[in-house]
Amino acid sequence: MNDMLFYDRLQFAFTITFHYIFPQLTMGLSLLIVYFKWKFLKTDIEKYNNAAKFFMKIFAINFTMGVVTGIPMEFQFGTNWAKFSELTGGIIGQTLAMEGVLAFFLESSFLALFIFGEKLMGQKLHFLTGFLVFLGSWLSGWFILATNAWMQHPVGYEILENGKFVLHNFLAIFNNPWLIPAYLHNQSASLVTSSFVVASIGAFYILRNKNLEYGKLFLKTGIIFGLIAALLVAFPTGDWNAKNVVKYQPASFAAMEGVFKTEQGGAEIVLIGQPNMVAKKLDNKIAVPDVLSFLTYKDWNKQIKGMDQFKKEDLPDNIPALYYAYHIMVGLGTIFIAIMFLAVFFLWRKKLFTLKPLLWVIMFLVPFPYIANLTGWYVAELGRQPYLVYGLLRTSVGMSPTVSSGNTLFTLLGFVGLYMVLGLLFLVLVGKTIHQGPTSKKL
Amino acid sequence: MLESLIAIISVVIGIIGANLFGFIFKKYSFGLIGNSIAGVFGSIFFIKSIGRLGFDPISIVKNGSINYNLLIINLLVSLCGAIVVLVLLKIIYVKLNNNKK
Repeated sequence: MNDMLFYDRLQFAFTITFHYIFPQLTMGLSLLIVYFKWKFLKTDIEKYNNAAKFFMKIFAINFTMGVVTGIPMEFQFGTNWAKFSELTGGIIGQTLAMEGVLAFFLESSFLALFIFGEKLMGQKLHFLTGFLVFLGSWLSGWFILATNAWMQHPVGYEILENGKFVLHNFLAIFNNPWLIPAYLHNQSASLVTSSFVVASIGAFYILRNKNLEYGKLFLKTGIIFGLIAALLVAFPTGDWNAKNVVKYQPASFAAMEGVFKTEQGGAEIVLIGQPNMVAKKLDNKIAVPDVLSFLTYKDWNKQIKGMDQFKKEDLPDNIPALYYAYHIMVGLGTIFIAIMFLAVFFLWRKKLFTLKPLLWVIMFLVPFPYIANLTGWYVAELGRQPYLVYGLLRTSVGMSPTVSSGNTLFTLLGFVGLYMVLGLLFLVLVGKTIHQGPTSKKL
Repeated sequence: MLESLIAIISVVIGIIGANLFGFIFKKYSFGLIGNSIAGVFGSIFFIKSIGRLGFDPISIVKNGSINYNLLIINLLVSLCGAIVVLVLLKIIYVKLNNNKK
């Protein structure tokens, strides 16, 4: 039974991690495409139009990969998590269906029109199709986050005698206090990834002395959007999310912050330290006293519940993974703000385009927002454990009882192989697009 | 469990099929990027819309074992879907762009 649960979770973790590489770029990039197209309408300078079309090609490749890697997810609800789907389908089925029918079709239909229909539609309608692609991708994120928010903080439901969850109040799903902060945090983080990708391509062109005009445009746009988005991720959205976690999932908050024992008075914030699960303490820690209490409650002396205040079975089941994921996310977020601030400073001093060390840093920074986004999701998902629906449905209850662990492991290995092929294809396609440059008319 | 794997294999066949078709019949080709995108959407569109006739991934692994005949039909339909969508897209693309020239 434990083996089955482990492999079910491992397979879902692997497939969703690989899948989320793609939507995190498309959501943010769609906003940047709308920006470039709007600038073109305003200024009539062709390079903005070429920039919008260039990034729409990269968007299309990402979107396609997102569609392909999204297919196994819908099957896994039925194959790996049959009991969960059976019990909660009446609720999560609503938002997931809306995502497919409303958002996904809006996004894919207008994506095709944007790519093929510029000459036919004229520039204003072309801008509108770009805007509708943006709307579709952000709506898609909204419905997925609404589903996840319900799992994190269930609202508007009723439990029938047979254990099934049914919707009691439809609007409650969208008024969920967990939803808006999580959505804004997720979208800002997605914008960080996209801005860094845009800036990185710009830095690459400048360093290669190729497409210089576009290199400068991409770099400038990328770092300005990147700085704004990185700040938004930290405050107010990150702060707001953390306050929700402490309010609705205090055990997860204690595990994220590595608070093993409840201290009298204010709680310290841990910068570095390794969770020692045997001694129930952090080894080699560097901490700042009372700051966690202040950041959480705006009170230096307010007590924060440690993990010793909760039953073992209500604590997340992988505390070190949760703790590290959270600290990697926060650490990277802080580094992003520092680097983007530095880049904007040198842009203002008119030295950025010739400052090669910083250009190299920006170019190679591109995998890190992906890591930060993924670790952010690990925090949300590991923090919700040992529940699928927080406080109501345990993960061990939601799995499919008849699927063997060997079967799951076999398909997991199959996914690893196929995703390697798809990942390689993705890199070749994106590399080819970047190599062709923004002025290429080829699709 | 194998259903999800078959769904992905089916899409990969669509990508390969669209690219091979584009390579052989150059006038229908969008290049590697466009052919791959058309292949993905064509494959998914065909399997999702007509797979319910009995060769979707769930029917293929009904009762726990793979029905290889249905699997071959699924892969062939995926291949056809990719090619049909590629050809249609190219025709539409050419018509849209010629109209405004």
